[in-house]
Amino acid sequence: MTLSGETVARESTVLEDVWRDTPGIGGWLTAVDHKTIGKRYLITTFLMFLAGGVEASLMRTQLATPSSSLIGPDRYNQLFTTHGTTMMFLFGVPVMNAMGLYFVPLMVGARTIAFPRLNAFGYWNYIVGVVFLYVSLFVNTAPDAGWFAYVPLSGPAYSPGHRVDVWAQVVTFTEIAALVAAVNIIVTTFKFRSPGMSLNRIPLFVWAQLVVSFMIVFAMPAVATGSTLMLAADRAINTHWFNYTEGGDALLWQHIFWFFGHPEVYIIFLPALGFVTPIVETFCRRRVFGYTALVLANITTAFFAFGLWVHHMFATPIPELGESMFTAASMVIAIPTGVQIFCWIATIWAGRPRLTTAMLFVLGFIFTFVIGGITGVMLASVAFDKQVHDTFFVVAHLHYVLIGGGLTPLFGAFYFWFPKVTGRLMNETLGKLHFWLFLIGVNLTFFPMHLLGFDGMPRRVYTYSADTGWEQLNLIATIGAAIIALSIIVFLVNAVRSWFGGELAGPNPWAASGLEWATPSPPPAFNFLHIPVTTSRHPLWDTSDDLPVVTGLRTDRREVLITTTFDARPDHRHDSPPGSIWPLYLALCMALLFIGSIFSPWFVLGGIGVSLIGLAGWGWSALDGPGRERVDTGDEIVDMA
Amino acid sequence: MRTRALVPVLAVAVLAVIAAGCKRENRYLNDPPPAPPSTFVRVSDLRPGPMVVTDTSTGPFDNNAYGTAEGQQLFEQMNCSGCHSNGGGGMGPALMDDQWIYGSEPDQIFASIAQGRPNGMPAWKNRLTTKQIWELVAYVRSLSSLTPKGARPSREDHMMTKPAPAETPKTKPRNSGPPA
Repeated sequence: MTLSGETVARESTVLEDVWRDTPGIGGWLTAVDHKTIGKRYLITTFLMFLAGGVEASLMRTQLATPSSSLIGPDRYNQLFTTHGTTMMFLFGVPVMNAMGLYFVPLMVGARTIAFPRLNAFGYWNYIVGVVFLYVSLFVNTAPDAGWFAYVPLSGPAYSPGHRVDVWAQVVTFTEIAALVAAVNIIVTTFKFRSPGMSLNRIPLFVWAQLVVSFMIVFAMPAVATGSTLMLAADRAINTHWFNYTEGGDALLWQHIFWFFGHPEVYIIFLPALGFVTPIVETFCRRRVFGYTALVLANITTAFFAFGLWVHHMFATPIPELGESMFTAASMVIAIPTGVQIFCWIATIWAGRPRLTTAMLFVLGFIFTFVIGGITGVMLASVAFDKQVHDTFFVVAHLHYVLIGGGLTPLFGAFYFWFPKVTGRLMNETLGKLHFWLFLIGVNLTFFPMHLLGFDGMPRRVYTYSADTGWEQLNLIATIGAAIIALSIIVFLVNAVRSWFGGELAGPNPWAASGLEWATPSPPPAFNFLHIPVTTSRHPLWDTSDDLPVVTGLRTDRREVLITTTFDARPDHRHDSPPGSIWPLYLALCMALLFIGSIFSPWFVLGGIGVSLIGLAGWGWSALDGPGRERVDTGDEIVDMA
Repeated sequence: MRTRALVPVLAVAVLAVIAAGCKRENRYLNDPPPAPPSTFVRVSDLRPGPMVVTDTSTGPFDNNAYGTAEGQQLFEQMNCSGCHSNGGGGMGPALMDDQWIYGSEPDQIFASIAQGRPNGMPAWKNRLTTKQIWELVAYVRSLSSLTPKGARPSREDHMMTKPAPAETPKTKPRNSGPPA
């Protein structure tokens, strides 16, 4: 069906009025549009990436020469802990969530996300965590017990003051944000898909986000229990979870933390694997090889990710049988990851790759990530692990995995989806310069660390003496870090320049196949003028000109179509709530509760008290409007094609 | 207008909190060690002539969480518990009550640790550095809540035979003087 330009303009105006966030400062605070929240998330997480990068640069500068006195031991402890906490909790997980929160509704053809207000609540919580950690860094109260805060070092006896309390509560805020994002993505994927997008037609990006959201739901409560309930309580109200003389158990912390901490790594890099598939498909002009294998590999990785946390703890007295089991599991997980890598290689092999910046980053990802994966398999061996435990070898391994498997595809995704978010293309020449500087920098920084680890240089030391012979390798690593910093500056210049003056992109600059490219760039507040109907895995490649669409949804209020979980048949209509100040209010209550609990347990009661007002207000303001209406669509997809 | 007037007030409040936080969280790893009490330390009111009130001062680590915690470690490592038993007292006097034989002021406690006292308290001035003795002073004073709450240790990593210093109610020290 072809609509006249006049009709389109009229409907767009009506929908825009209904769906856009209120303008002005009030509207800024009450915004619930998933694209607004997603954009804020992306910008904040990127600022956090820069902050973590500055901390890393400071540490590398300190380590460039032996016996350097640039940064003292106390500052250094705070720097490496803040660097780790920032990169894992304030950048790694939230940036992947942010990509999901922005793109999943667009990719499944929905008007909005499942719980828009909850989404805003998650973002405000995340901001509280960010502000709390960075204020503490500037008042000499930043956490200093490492990003995994092992007891008894992080306990009340050896970490006096409030430094580790800050860590425990920052983690709490990011847990809330991640859980909220996960629930949102799961429900959006299961219930908000466009009609016809059955489970076997979901884009692999969305599959990855879905699988990771389930991982978050299972993993985050472990660290929530460990940090907020146990560690914070041990420190504030004299509980004995980790005090062995009173029947507690210090090893319990390591189990609880790594039961979350290992899946955390996959929470960061599985979404990145989701970025790779559409980029490879688009630039090789070929459907991805082994869709089913890729989906199953995703699920298998997620499943095994929960069965190998003990390989972080091989230096503790764990029974040997247990160690062997976790060694086996750590090696098994390389298989589904290998399956995915081979699927992409096969796709590239059979296609005709166009080496755009995004595609280059995907190739860089395969190269870097495979090195990190192989050292991972090495570390799975107990005997080898005991030799290099807590040395720079581990630092090298984890940076290869997280930079190779998480950050590199993320940069690719940035170049690929930047035009969708801003409406403008990024500069390819600067992009390629960024890629090559970044690839060289990363390898120059982290490869020598393998050798330093073999030489026995322990991680988290603030300096070393000249007679250790670690001088040259450390200097090379620092030069590499400077090259990475340079590449990030190139990227920043490119992003800012392109945002304001880049070439206009149009709806689908790459001729890609996903539904998100079927709407203008940047997408309007209502995402799609008409909800599309999906008839294949590659809707824009398989449908010649016009996408079939659904009609019948009201345009004069925020109405969305709910479909069935498996086959995505239209099920009922549902009202999406308007913007509200209550998510922000409730997030501030959480701030009062958790930050206050560091100083006095009475803040917990006070925080719950003021939260109840927020919950009442939230529920009350959602009562407007007539609620849900069942539509009698039967099994037929309403198809206007 | 009103909000504008509030800004400087808030800024001052925030700065005050920050200043307090900085001192409490400082790790002073590269700072020069604090000086010992310079003047003659009076440990008893028993003296001829008019009554002289002891000069009150705070120890260098009284308001420092890390210094107090270091004192707590030293208290275990130097086996102070052997006589004072985690502060409850045994062969030596209790340190968590309000009775002070040789005074409760930082200078007085420093003198007692450094010089030793009759009936069993050894002199530590040649065994510990000045800084370590000051750390012990902060910890000993925290046992009866004479130091600020934010700097006092919470739960210790051993058997809980008494409330943690952070939870001990504040006492008003009484100077009983040395036994006759």
